[in-house]
Amino acid sequence: MNTGLDTQKFTEERKTVLQSWPTGSEVDLEEAFAFHQSLPKKKVCSIRLQEALDQQVVLLQPRAGVALVDEHIRLLSFLQEESDLLPTTIDAYTRQNKYADAQKGIERSEQAQRSLLNGFPAVNHGVHGCRSIIEALDKPVEIRHGTPDARLLTEIALAGGFTSYEGGGISYNIPYAKNVPLEKSIRDWQYVDHLVGIYEAHGCSINREPFGPLSGTLVPPCVSHTVAIIEGLLALEQGVKSLTLGYGQAGNLVQDIAAMRVLKKLADGYFRQMGYTDYQLSTVFHQWMGGFPESEAQAFAVISWGGVVASLSGATKVIVKTPHEALGIPTKEANRDGLLATRQSIQMVADLSPLDTLRISEEEELITSEVTCLMRSVIELGAGDLAAGAVRAFEAGVIDVPFAPAVCNAGKVLPVRDNDGAVRLFDTGSMPLSSDILAYHRDKIAHRAKQEKREASFQMVIDDIYAISKGRLVGRPT
Amino acid sequence: MEQINVVLGVIGSDCHAVGNKILERYFSAEGFSVTNLGVMVSQDEFIDAAIETGAEAILVSSLYGHAEIDCEGFRDRCLERGLDHVVLYLGGNLVVGKTDQTAVEQKFLDMGFDRVFSGSHNELTDQAQLLRDDIMASRNGKRHRAG
Repeated sequence: MNTGLDTQKFTEERKTVLQSWPTGSEVDLEEAFAFHQSLPKKKVCSIRLQEALDQQVVLLQPRAGVALVDEHIRLLSFLQEESDLLPTTIDAYTRQNKYADAQKGIERSEQAQRSLLNGFPAVNHGVHGCRSIIEALDKPVEIRHGTPDARLLTEIALAGGFTSYEGGGISYNIPYAKNVPLEKSIRDWQYVDHLVGIYEAHGCSINREPFGPLSGTLVPPCVSHTVAIIEGLLALEQGVKSLTLGYGQAGNLVQDIAAMRVLKKLADGYFRQMGYTDYQLSTVFHQWMGGFPESEAQAFAVISWGGVVASLSGATKVIVKTPHEALGIPTKEANRDGLLATRQSIQMVADLSPLDTLRISEEEELITSEVTCLMRSVIELGAGDLAAGAVRAFEAGVIDVPFAPAVCNAGKVLPVRDNDGAVRLFDTGSMPLSSDILAYHRDKIAHRAKQEKREASFQMVIDDIYAISKGRLVGRPT
Repeated sequence: MEQINVVLGVIGSDCHAVGNKILERYFSAEGFSVTNLGVMVSQDEFIDAAIETGAEAILVSSLYGHAEIDCEGFRDRCLERGLDHVVLYLGGNLVVGKTDQTAVEQKFLDMGFDRVFSGSHNELTDQAQLLRDDIMASRNGKRHRAG
């Protein structure tokens, strides 16, 4: 049910959650509120976001996380100068609530003197470990992860002083889990949002950021926007006040600018329509989330292009990739270089007044109509309950994320680029789009197929998936 | 052509799904009978599926950097469970951080994998033939063991 959680039930549930790993006992809400209230403004994410919204600048944020506290602080301290907002990326074991495995990773990392985990195991390090990060740095730090059941992680991270928290019941299930029922992840994220709401009610601002890019692989804007809007609404219902909605760069300039512009408009529209008025809304643009070229020079070009588009599309912040993306987790130097390239590219176009072309406004209209079709169906399916509507929408394939691992996702939709490189729907699955929208996608793809003198096929989709890593946007036949 | 059964999946707590779906289509199109376990597969799930389907190869992917922990003891576990001749392939971004790929590949070959594809091998060209050859060699009692 999309309704604020019952206080008594929530209190009971909290006891169980906090007992699921020893560090849960370190959480003391009253003391945590006092810690948050004592934080200087420069460390509070929503304050920094508001400054960026007011000044219309783009904030830069990398991804970073390693196994040990001191090593993690050294890494973030190194990245701090070139970043506006800092991350703490959580390791994959913690994301699956495998704290014993994470503990093994910590011990082996201590022995090996290098990180064997792909992120920071915040639950194992506990409230005190998290506090030492917040205390050591001068900028807001966000937890970034991919955790279907993030209840304990949230308890520890918020008590630990983090002022921003990524994720959502859909966006941290569909791309990050295999067998977790959507009802369960949505319910577990209502717990997260409810806890954030409690901090907000005590004057402690916690920014919440649904994960925009989903599978990061040719996701059509209408799919990710619909998920972002639903997660925004679910969060607001639990008392969240500061929201950042995201979108992953698709690659075509026109489509990306249009998508970012309508994301905020559409979200504001639905939020107000559903009666929410007291919130701060910002946007985040993710630089290309698909496969990267191995060559660092080529990777820098992809990164810089992402910076340009983040700026031209009016994003409040941009999540930055690194020249090591093709090979996995970057060195700290490569991470900093991604930030430097992004900063330069943003500042090359930051002074340009907004681009207004007919093609951008046409694309904005298209995405708006698509999202309207999908949201109408979700709301109808829910019959007054948006959470149930979301679950049923995934069951029915009304929302369908391409290339996602979760079994609760239909996986019938197949995207492909059109001749301009914009992401279109090759197989529309069961998404309830109007006949004129379906015809538009069909025509756009037919046009490309004709230009390439081949049929549109799964091979064309694969060609597009690998195209950027091989040096171009559209996967043309060789 | 004779039917060859193989098991495919992404090991550990890794949820990278895209390459897995592409590999499934590639090896199926090349005539293999592919049991795709998808993402987040444990060593025992790989082995259970291989025993159940009579698979002659297990194709393991790891994209998130935890392969050293997740793959430890995989060959021994196969032997314990009676899979004496199964061909083991491993591919992906195997360790955290940019490191020397040859050294990385050697580390996993030493663990008992028959072939290791470290880094971004995004061209699927002769891997199907390679796999077929390795399976034939294994039937004849010869393990490939590169490096």
